[in-house]
Amino acid sequence: MAEDKDRLRRLRLETTMVEYCVSAGWIAPGAPDYSEADLARACLVRDLREAMGVNDEGVSVALDLLDQIHGLRRALRRVGDVMHGLPEPARQEVLVILRELDEA
Amino acid sequence: MNEDPYDVLGVKRDASQEQIRKAYRALARKLHPDLNPGDKAAEEKFKAVSAANDILGDADKRARFDRGEIDAAGNERPPQPPPNWYRDHAGGAYDNDAGYADMVDEDELLGALFGRGARARRGGGAQFRMQGGDIHARLDIDFLDAVNGGTKRVTLPDGSTVDVTIPPGTRQGQVLRLRGKGSPGLGGGPNGDLMVEISVGDHHFYTRRDDDILLDLPVSLPEAVLGGKIEVPTPAGPVMVNVPKGSNTGTVLRLRGRGVARKDGTRGDAFVTLRLVLPDTADADLQAFAEGWAAGRAQNPRAGMES
Repeated sequence: MAEDKDRLRRLRLETTMVEYCVSAGWIAPGAPDYSEADLARACLVRDLREAMGVNDEGVSVALDLLDQIHGLRRALRRVGDVMHGLPEPARQEVLVILRELDEA
Repeated sequence: MNEDPYDVLGVKRDASQEQIRKAYRALARKLHPDLNPGDKAAEEKFKAVSAANDILGDADKRARFDRGEIDAAGNERPPQPPPNWYRDHAGGAYDNDAGYADMVDEDELLGALFGRGARARRGGGAQFRMQGGDIHARLDIDFLDAVNGGTKRVTLPDGSTVDVTIPPGTRQGQVLRLRGKGSPGLGGGPNGDLMVEISVGDHHFYTRRDDDILLDLPVSLPEAVLGGKIEVPTPAGPVMVNVPKGSNTGTVLRLRGRGVARKDGTRGDAFVTLRLVLPDTADADLQAFAEGWAAGRAQNPRAGMES
């Protein structure tokens, strides 16, 4: 896949390193071609191992925690969307409840 | 970007390559944008730290910088790879909700807010689904439509119309819910509902008591005195009623099954209260009869009112 090779070179990723990420379970391509998310994740793994001196066990821990953070961020964004979708009186009510929680 | 790379990494001019490497690693661990997904400032600092490390991390290039052959902005710096942070791609296949699974599983509201079943959708990507809002409307209906059922067209605030089926026996103030006729849902979520509050009008001779219909029925003097069959209107259609001989104003006749329609197909009752009505114009025969009617003159209809 010449196109994949091009993309890897632009991101300064080694083919063997990306394949190592797959075998380690750090990235799991869902299609024959790597997705942007797959490659960005491989870049993160590269930074963790090379720039930050994190070992392989540490990479797994970091990725797992990061995936949880992104799951939480998505959940939080969803809650925000719901709040913004509420009619004005309901939104005011939520604000009042939150203020009461803060004062408690 | 043009700051002194030694200052950026916080190392002395005579630091060893190993000290520089350690300083860079410590800063990278702290500032890497993917470890600070929502922090723009960290990203700017990380860029500066990376640029400093590009120069000082390479002994050869560091020597050239020290000799003044390249500047802190990094003339001859190798082209930086375009930033491709993982955080910009998160929100898809790799997301993991284990961090709040306990809250979601135990709490129905949080589960809905946080997207219950997010784990089952892994790989499908994040999608925001929300049921549309309910629309509230008021509908004035005729007395007989409420009693017998019917259909009525409602015009919504957005100008569209909906035909509302009014079930038999609908009551004043009852709210009919039309599923899916409210505001459209978001992200494939279900539509909201249309909530129609019913206001029932008055009828010019029927009144209603739960499932029963009450009406006053005028009868003539001969009908009351002699009795006979007369036709009585009811919500279920006219019916022939036998007025007993000697009926009076206030006599109540019960017509079973001629009242308000119920869901199970039966009806309440109609209660007919007779009201004696004399002729509109004076009648000489009737006057003559009343004058000569001894028993009538002896009657005291107000006996119960004497104190």
